[in-house]
Amino acid sequence: MKVRRLYPMLALLIAATSLRAQDYVLHAYIDERLVAAPDDTSWTNGGFGKTRYGGNQTQLHFGGAALYGAAQITPDLLAMGQVQYQTGDRGRVSLLEGWIRYRPVSTTPWRWSLRAGALFPPVSMENDGVGWTSPWTLSSSAINTWTGEELRAVGGELELEHRGEVSNWDFRASLFRRDDPAGTVLAIRGWSIGDLVSGIGTRLREPDAEVSEEDETPPNYYDPFRSIGASHWGDYVAVSWHAPGETSVSVMHYDNHADPGASAPYAGGDEQYAWRTRFWSAGARTDTGAITWIAQALDGYTTIEPIEDAYQRTHYRSAFLLAGWNRGAWRPALRIEHFSTLTPSSDIDWSQSEHGNAVTGALNWRPRSYLRLTAEVLRIDSTSTLRAEYGLPARIIDTQLQLNVRLLY
Amino acid sequence: MATVVNDVVGSSRGLSMNHWRSRVLCLCAWGAAMAAHAGSLTVKMVDSQGHPISDGVATIDRAYQPSAPSTHYVDQKNETFIPYVEVVHPGDSVVFRNSDSTRHHVYTFSPLGAFQFILSPGESSPPVALNRAGVIAVGCNIHDHMIAYLVVATDFAEVTTQNGQAHFDDLSPGHYTVTVWHPQLWPGRPPIRAAVDVPAEGATQELAFTLKLMPDPRHFVDREHLDY
Repeated sequence: MKVRRLYPMLALLIAATSLRAQDYVLHAYIDERLVAAPDDTSWTNGGFGKTRYGGNQTQLHFGGAALYGAAQITPDLLAMGQVQYQTGDRGRVSLLEGWIRYRPVSTTPWRWSLRAGALFPPVSMENDGVGWTSPWTLSSSAINTWTGEELRAVGGELELEHRGEVSNWDFRASLFRRDDPAGTVLAIRGWSIGDLVSGIGTRLREPDAEVSEEDETPPNYYDPFRSIGASHWGDYVAVSWHAPGETSVSVMHYDNHADPGASAPYAGGDEQYAWRTRFWSAGARTDTGAITWIAQALDGYTTIEPIEDAYQRTHYRSAFLLAGWNRGAWRPALRIEHFSTLTPSSDIDWSQSEHGNAVTGALNWRPRSYLRLTAEVLRIDSTSTLRAEYGLPARIIDTQLQLNVRLLY
Repeated sequence: MATVVNDVVGSSRGLSMNHWRSRVLCLCAWGAAMAAHAGSLTVKMVDSQGHPISDGVATIDRAYQPSAPSTHYVDQKNETFIPYVEVVHPGDSVVFRNSDSTRHHVYTFSPLGAFQFILSPGESSPPVALNRAGVIAVGCNIHDHMIAYLVVATDFAEVTTQNGQAHFDDLSPGHYTVTVWHPQLWPGRPPIRAAVDVPAEGATQELAFTLKLMPDPRHFVDREHLDY
């Protein structure tokens, strides 16, 4: 099914269900910010800079907007969709997620549900706001920046919950399609930290230097949510434990089962490869008094086989720890993280690596329920062989300051 | 006696007039049996900062013997069960009322007796008889952030109000064991109890408990934390 066909279908579905539904919820946000950007050209503009904004300019930017809608069609059936609007060259309107959930009531400790549609794999423990935003910081962690950019499961997810006397367990298993390019950005660009989430319909920009190296003319864009090669299903499984209070621990495994030798023509360039991407992800969250602690770690591989029996395999890993202080209208948050990639190869052109650390400090003030003001400083210290290959400094320190006004509905 | 009536009104939100009257009569009879020398007890619950804790249940080790079962009402307003905690006694019934403009799907999987009702706006469930002692957690299958607790007590039990206090009046002089419970206490831990002597006459005996509670499980929907 062509991606373009999804739009009218989902729009019609949401409209039709909303009309019949007795229960519906709408939320939205719109965001404007003043940004003091670091020197390096951002990845969003084809550079190797690690922050969303670059070019050593201080100016106002439209941060984005999103609309969240949910309709309870029947007591067992829920339809949900999120659409975002972004300026820039990625596509203006796109569907972040859209699904229907069937969850019959259960009068036993076990309860099952089935979701079908376009889903975020349950990686993030940060992003539970409208438009997949984070209430803690403006910029998501490196792990969840990547999750927002390249991970989406178009398929179904079965969830089984056990509600115990003391704690609850949650098991999820999903079969999905259309996530074969996942891993591309980690291999060709490396990690980044920002809040630019891809929707279905978004196009991601490849690094201009990489495009030029292929004797093509930048900018080049690719669709992160498509199938490549023979028909197949990807899968993920996740287990979560929820203790009394706000403590939870999750572990998941993702595998898109893409054929690393498969490729397909794409609008931006010659051939787009399928990246066989697998990872383990673990996360935990707890509260100690007024402090919320969130930690996540992710470790995986992505592989392509552009020439028969010649594999390019990138090992990627990242971890972060976030502490948020819940002080009523004021909510300071601090996050530290580490990230790295490694692509070993006897071919010097293929061998790459990067590593880096980042610190994010944010002060959120919410004087009204519909208004949030945020000041955020993000400092990323990274070293990348890829940048050196193109004559840029291998090590760079990007510092980005943002003053943000967000209206919430 | 005015104190007794006030107490009954305050602790039996939603009771019908007949049941209210029967309970007053019951307490009057019980009070008369205690002869003229009746004492009273106030149980206070506070958190570690000294703030009063509401919706805690204080139980004294004296069997409650009603003359007739009561019907209790649990409302649903703004996607919240009201009250959060309701004390009932074996043989009593509970009716769930939907005062919201959206549907609710009230249910429990408690081993004490499972039930489920889909309630349209303005609709009430049929009475549910509660015959077995224990705590029944009630939820909404549509709105996971909604939760309430029915405490089915065989002994005298009262719920703390906003000032963190539960009152027992017309107590016969003697030695009492008071047990406290709150839905946000860590589950699976030993019961919290204390002994107190209630004198025949004089000032109200007070007993204070400092409780460490977990966060409120009722996640009120916020624009920054969507509950999906």
